[in-house]
Amino acid sequence: MSAPTHEVSAFLYHYAELLDTERFDDWTQLFDPNDCQYRVLSRENQELGLPLPIMGCFTHGMVRDRVAMLAKGVLTYRRDRLLRQVTNVQCHALGEAGMEARANLVVYQSSAEGVSSLYMVARYRTELHRSRSTWLIRSMDVLVDSFGIDTMLAVPL
Amino acid sequence: MNSKVASDRQSWPKADFSRVPYEVFTDANIYRLENERIFRGPVWNYLCHEVELPQVGSFVTTWVGDTQVVVTRAEDESIHAFENSCAHRGAQLVTAVRGHAKSLTCPYHLWSYSLKGELTGVPLLKGLKGKGGMPASFQKADHGLNVLKVQTHGGLIFGSFHDDPPDLKTFLGPHSLSQIDRLLVQRKPKVLGYLRQRIPGNWKLYNENVRDPYHGSLLHQFQVSFGLQQPTMKGGIKLDTELKNTWNHSILSDTDKDNQALVAQAYEGTGKFNPNMKMADPSLINVPLDLGDGYKTTILSIFPTLIVAQVDNTYAIRHLRPKGTDGVELHITYLGFESDTPEQTHDKLLTANFIGPSGYISLEDGEALRLVQQGIRQRRPGGHEVLEMGGVGPIQDTDYLSQEISIRGFWQYYHQIMGLGNDQPLGETQ
Repeated sequence: MSAPTHEVSAFLYHYAELLDTERFDDWTQLFDPNDCQYRVLSRENQELGLPLPIMGCFTHGMVRDRVAMLAKGVLTYRRDRLLRQVTNVQCHALGEAGMEARANLVVYQSSAEGVSSLYMVARYRTELHRSRSTWLIRSMDVLVDSFGIDTMLAVPL
Repeated sequence: MNSKVASDRQSWPKADFSRVPYEVFTDANIYRLENERIFRGPVWNYLCHEVELPQVGSFVTTWVGDTQVVVTRAEDESIHAFENSCAHRGAQLVTAVRGHAKSLTCPYHLWSYSLKGELTGVPLLKGLKGKGGMPASFQKADHGLNVLKVQTHGGLIFGSFHDDPPDLKTFLGPHSLSQIDRLLVQRKPKVLGYLRQRIPGNWKLYNENVRDPYHGSLLHQFQVSFGLQQPTMKGGIKLDTELKNTWNHSILSDTDKDNQALVAQAYEGTGKFNPNMKMADPSLINVPLDLGDGYKTTILSIFPTLIVAQVDNTYAIRHLRPKGTDGVELHITYLGFESDTPEQTHDKLLTANFIGPSGYISLEDGEALRLVQQGIRQRRPGGHEVLEMGGVGPIQDTDYLSQEISIRGFWQYYHQIMGLGNDQPLGETQ
């Protein structure tokens, strides 16, 4: 694994861990506060060239609002434990300080009584840029193969 | 079974349908009957929208109850629908969800069909060198696909398996006709995308949900926290004469902003009211309503599986695709309009965050239905829902929102079309 791929993998593992452990405020800080976008997109719409997102956050405030609703108890949602597996990370440079990365994502859900099942199959497509010593997300698209969503999708992927 | 036991399990405990036996959501026999008596009965089932069949040869697959149906636009631009199952050996004919074709060919023995469902080609029909082939009595005209009757209104395409379906406009009723005009005809719609939600709950639970404005401002706290919907709002319901189709509407007026004390009173004891919450980026809730008629939410629910919904500035066709007793796919066709400016289109992609499996105002319905199905699965026969909010007795229009009367209307029609008696255990209905 080349040095940048290793670095981007570590970034995505951290991203997944923050969501898995519901450290939602920390997750929002992975996004560029001045210019960022987060979308969950169905493969069906992508292939049809249709623009509708399942989740669409077009500013940093919208990214924060997405998870604030969860943290403040505004939304009633399935409280299963989620575990994300990120694999097949590939990346290439985008200009001097940028990086484009792709990865596969599998998410398992586990119930309060300890029964686990596959929840989501998806791919990440992201643009990162370096800011001082860290990476920030400029754009994160999660392309969902399992777009027949099981019950609901409340927590970002 | 002796009559005493049977009488303990009467199908409908109250004549005003203020009780619903839980077996209707869990009994496989009832589900089988629904497929016969409702989805293949004297109703019009929503199939898809005309804009999804833009040209000759366009096709879409959809569902009528348990049956997958292909909808096509033929050479003369007419619209046709038939079961997605070859007339020869029953194989699924079309595997793509949508596409374009000049004819449809079964992959198994290459029988081919016209866009109207007529059998046009049978390989080796006459055999080879005088041997084999179909008997002389075989006529292609006798072996077309199983077609549905098709009618359209306001761009919505409906199909019926029944020999003698009702008049479509009468079936829809006056409120449906005027709302279809308002939402789907006065501006030409275009599809911005699809959303699919697999809800582990019976398809009728969703029909209850959309006929239940009582839950709107209670389950969906987002709307209340940001002033989109409040229990103090003006609104009401209107039913068709058969009580099966409901139009719910709510109107947010300026006075609602001053009603916070009343709202707080409505939420007393729930610990849920959260009036001081602010959004980091409120652009989502500031998108103007582009119809300009003041309606904040209008939900048109058409028996058995269609909902045409305006929630704030979102416009969508919701279609229920039952998957056994315990599941339903909620299929959403999310609409913009040909006349929308780029800004309006962007606004609709933004307000899409209100609806669907991740919708701030709708993701909870998936969870609520899951919880109901989980809960009722454990109940013994004889258990039932209690529907008394808004009053019992006559089923009629209301000018208030905290009611479950329209749900009772759904059940009255369901009871009638299913041919259920009042003295027969539901699980033994034949």
